[in-house]
Amino acid sequence: MAAEEAVGAPPAVASQVEEKKGTSQQIDPYNVAGEVDESGNIKAIDYDRLIQEFGVQPLTEDHLRRFEAVTGKKAHRLMRRKLFFSHRDFDKILDTYEQYGTFMLYTGRGPSSGSMHLGHTVPFLFTKELQDMFDVPLVIMLTDDEKYLYTRNKNEGHQKAGAAADDFLDYAYENIKDIIALGFDPKKTFIYTDYEYLGGHFYRNVSEFESLVTFNQASGAFGFGNSTNIGLIAYGAKQCVAAFPSSYPDLFGYKDYRAPEYDLSAKRRHKPLSTIPTLIPCAIDQEPYFRILRDRCDRMTDPHPKTALILSKFLTALQGPGGKMSASDPNSAIFMSDTPNQIKNKINRHAFSGGRESLEEHRKLGGNPDVDVAYTYLSYFLDDDEELEELASKYRSGELLTGEMKQRCIAELQKFVGAFQEKREGVTHEIMREYMRPRRLEYQGNPNPTRPASSAPPANGVPAAEDAGAEKKGDGRGTKGERKAAKLAAKKEEKMATRQKAPDGDGGASSPAA
Amino acid sequence: MTAPPPVGAPPAVEKEKDERKPAKQKIDPWNVAGEVDEGGNVKAIDYDRLIEDFGVQPLTRAHLDRFEKVTGKPAHRLMRRKLFFSHRDFDKILDYYEQHGQFMLYTGRGPSSGSMHLGHTVPFLFTKELQELFDVPLVIMLTDDEKFLHTRNKNEGQMKAGSAPEDFLNFAHDNARDIIALGFDPKKTFMYSDYEFLGGHFYRNVSEFESMVTYNQASGAFGFNESTNIGLISFMAKQCVAAFPSSYPDLFGLPDYRAPDYDSSAKRRHKELASIPCLIPCAIDQEPYFRMVRDRSERMHDPHPKPALIMSKFLTALQGPGGKMSASDPNSAIFMSDSPAQIKNKINKHAFSGGQQTEEEHRRLGGNPDVDVAFTYLSYFLEDDAELEDLAKRYRAGEILTGEMKAKCISFVQGFVADFQKRREGVTEEVMREFMRPRRLVYGGNPNPVKKQKESSDGWAGAGSEAVGGGEGKEGKEGRGTKGERKAAKLAEKKAEKEAEKLALREKS
Repeated sequence: MAAEEAVGAPPAVASQVEEKKGTSQQIDPYNVAGEVDESGNIKAIDYDRLIQEFGVQPLTEDHLRRFEAVTGKKAHRLMRRKLFFSHRDFDKILDTYEQYGTFMLYTGRGPSSGSMHLGHTVPFLFTKELQDMFDVPLVIMLTDDEKYLYTRNKNEGHQKAGAAADDFLDYAYENIKDIIALGFDPKKTFIYTDYEYLGGHFYRNVSEFESLVTFNQASGAFGFGNSTNIGLIAYGAKQCVAAFPSSYPDLFGYKDYRAPEYDLSAKRRHKPLSTIPTLIPCAIDQEPYFRILRDRCDRMTDPHPKTALILSKFLTALQGPGGKMSASDPNSAIFMSDTPNQIKNKINRHAFSGGRESLEEHRKLGGNPDVDVAYTYLSYFLDDDEELEELASKYRSGELLTGEMKQRCIAELQKFVGAFQEKREGVTHEIMREYMRPRRLEYQGNPNPTRPASSAPPANGVPAAEDAGAEKKGDGRGTKGERKAAKLAAKKEEKMATRQKAPDGDGGASSPAA
Repeated sequence: MTAPPPVGAPPAVEKEKDERKPAKQKIDPWNVAGEVDEGGNVKAIDYDRLIEDFGVQPLTRAHLDRFEKVTGKPAHRLMRRKLFFSHRDFDKILDYYEQHGQFMLYTGRGPSSGSMHLGHTVPFLFTKELQELFDVPLVIMLTDDEKFLHTRNKNEGQMKAGSAPEDFLNFAHDNARDIIALGFDPKKTFMYSDYEFLGGHFYRNVSEFESMVTYNQASGAFGFNESTNIGLISFMAKQCVAAFPSSYPDLFGLPDYRAPDYDSSAKRRHKELASIPCLIPCAIDQEPYFRMVRDRSERMHDPHPKPALIMSKFLTALQGPGGKMSASDPNSAIFMSDSPAQIKNKINKHAFSGGQQTEEEHRRLGGNPDVDVAFTYLSYFLEDDAELEDLAKRYRAGEILTGEMKAKCISFVQGFVADFQKRREGVTEEVMREFMRPRRLVYGGNPNPVKKQKESSDGWAGAGSEAVGGGEGKEGKEGRGTKGERKAAKLAEKKAEKEAEKLALREKS
């Protein structure tokens, strides 16, 4: 994704901006910089300010209550803890889920060599847990081509060693194995890289989307210039249509048309897929990116619902608020490749403490859990609100020392990272390829939707036969020869469907709200 | 292909220029305008000037002689008649063919509804006949995506009815059937539309090429601006890498890697394919386009030879020199959908004549075949030089009247179009799909290349001097895939090595 290494992670800052004194906060897909005060101190990000500037909505208690009503489960801890704190159209997703029973999750990563760190994995974990709670399909996009184009652009058109197109595809494979090791459900997760997957319906959507974005608009959003290469300029369209279920017909039991098979009965577009909305969990700096997407969803030939976003703050770097997690600075974050000892040392030595200078002061005045990194990390992992609250209150009262907080945190992290590493060992090439195989995904969605969709593709059923006949001219049905072949196939399906149809099935009338 | 519809056809002029003001000649992918003199007359294109301006090479008698020597066949009539009159690196193609025995031909068309006209078909015919003369593989690209992007851009982001991506894909299918009806050999011709084919190795090449073209360079070459959509801005990379054999591994018997098969033993790049050169027959206004690919071929990760070009003049419109063939003006050209009567009428009524005003004058002074459209069209089709020369001579002498020249021309063109229409009837959906199926192409190339190709593990014809997979494993990352894939590939290599050793031993003894 753009300059970022992962959705949800604080991005490595693309340009080395001199940290002047007295500059205002700057957040966009290529910059994450807090305000710098007169003395040159970097202040923590002002998220309320950001909500206002971007015009996004805050995630409120109402949303959490609604979530619980609709899923029958407790709101995810990262929402309760307000790591995920803002959104666009999250309520519409809940509406759709309540009524029609499904939506698609979408997230991604820009592949790079080397391990992921907590800044990457925590948001992926959130996505996985959302997937479990809602029981919905998820696509994960590895943007190997964007990384290649971006890197080459940064190097003024020169391709350095280790930065060829094929290298990024290789990094993508390594990253995918990492992601799989977080425990995604292979039955409802599709992972792909652009270099392998681009084509067919996905490419058709890319082409249509590209025609809706001018050079001005792309440069405005991403800071391109006249020396930017044309690949990078055009790339955004791919990341946007990656949010459309209609880009992945195979996952929903529809046919794609691709070299070399060119399935003749495959439609050029599958209209029913365009009605399924998508939810994107990501860090708030990605928001301008998806604004480009949201502004154009309903201008597609088959209008798509505006993509929903649930946005997170930046995860706190080891050095505390104002710091940045960075793949190039081992002491800024816990890495998934860290040993138990490394984790222990990093937390003990580098994690910013909310405690007092001396034991005596701490006992007397207490510590501040809000800026304490060990506590913050615990808040990402500890599910029990009461337990977490107890830690906070004991810390504030001075009962709990920094060392003890750190110890608790270390134990939790070692457990998490240890479990990850073990799972990672078990991710073979074959397992990876299975996640990457375009195939029908299996999921139940909402077990009790109020309006079951009969024409939207049901989670596990065969697409309704009416779908084949319902599309009139210009619905991307293919050429005359192809339509003839499709008609014969449709007649056959109709015959079979009329035998099985329920009396109230009305095919085509009710679809998830756009 | 950007504004001009097909390769080789005179493009429709985008802007309506005031044709009365004196103006210099202007030729580029969006403009084909002859010089306008003081009297507001549009002069014929000055091709010598164009050769100079573009810095291309003229096709000379020496080239034709070399062609004949290397192929053992007479130089193609359109080269003899100088319709194809200039080139870049045509001699290098002949060298390579002589030494290594093959190259790839590449041409294309921007799909549109409606019939092709002679301006489209004659260059395709030339390509087909080159393919036969050399016995080499040909790829034909249908740029449905570009047409979509260009049309939408022209309409300021609005998508009018009949201009959705699927519509252009449908046009591409129709055009494909027209092209097939010209008689291309299904065994060595691959046709594809971008919407259907993009992916795999082709896309990998696109991505690499895109990284080598800046917005400035693209806009400079094609006149983009800040309101141009990003699809159109980036499209040219596709048309450029379409000239690389490495974009089509299947055609050469090598595996691609694509959804949904993901052949895990497939290499990310096939280095051996990078050495095969390409020849592009096209009209000269396309030259700025291919300059972009020539400037970057060698900068690809696996350096590619610069694509060679053999370029034509613009075919003469019915109304004569200075006129333009246009799909929207039925009387500017013979269309492949014309009936015999329409052809007869068009030639008789609209074909510019090189004759005199009256029969008596004509018998006395003679006519000028050089500006006579009927004669010009005959020169595209009549194979026999002597016969054509005789016609010209007798026309100049006043022996042949305009009407007779026209009658002869009509007869030829009717025959050509009738044959086409008949063949077109027979081009079914299945026939089209076979041309469009990525599969190994079968061709002989030069039966006596100087450097015999070594036997390779998958035995395809002549990949330069290295055997397939020969020198690959040594140099760092050759796009070999991940560890798991390399392991699998290594086992396969060891097996192949053992077999090669056995073969070598056998050959020694």
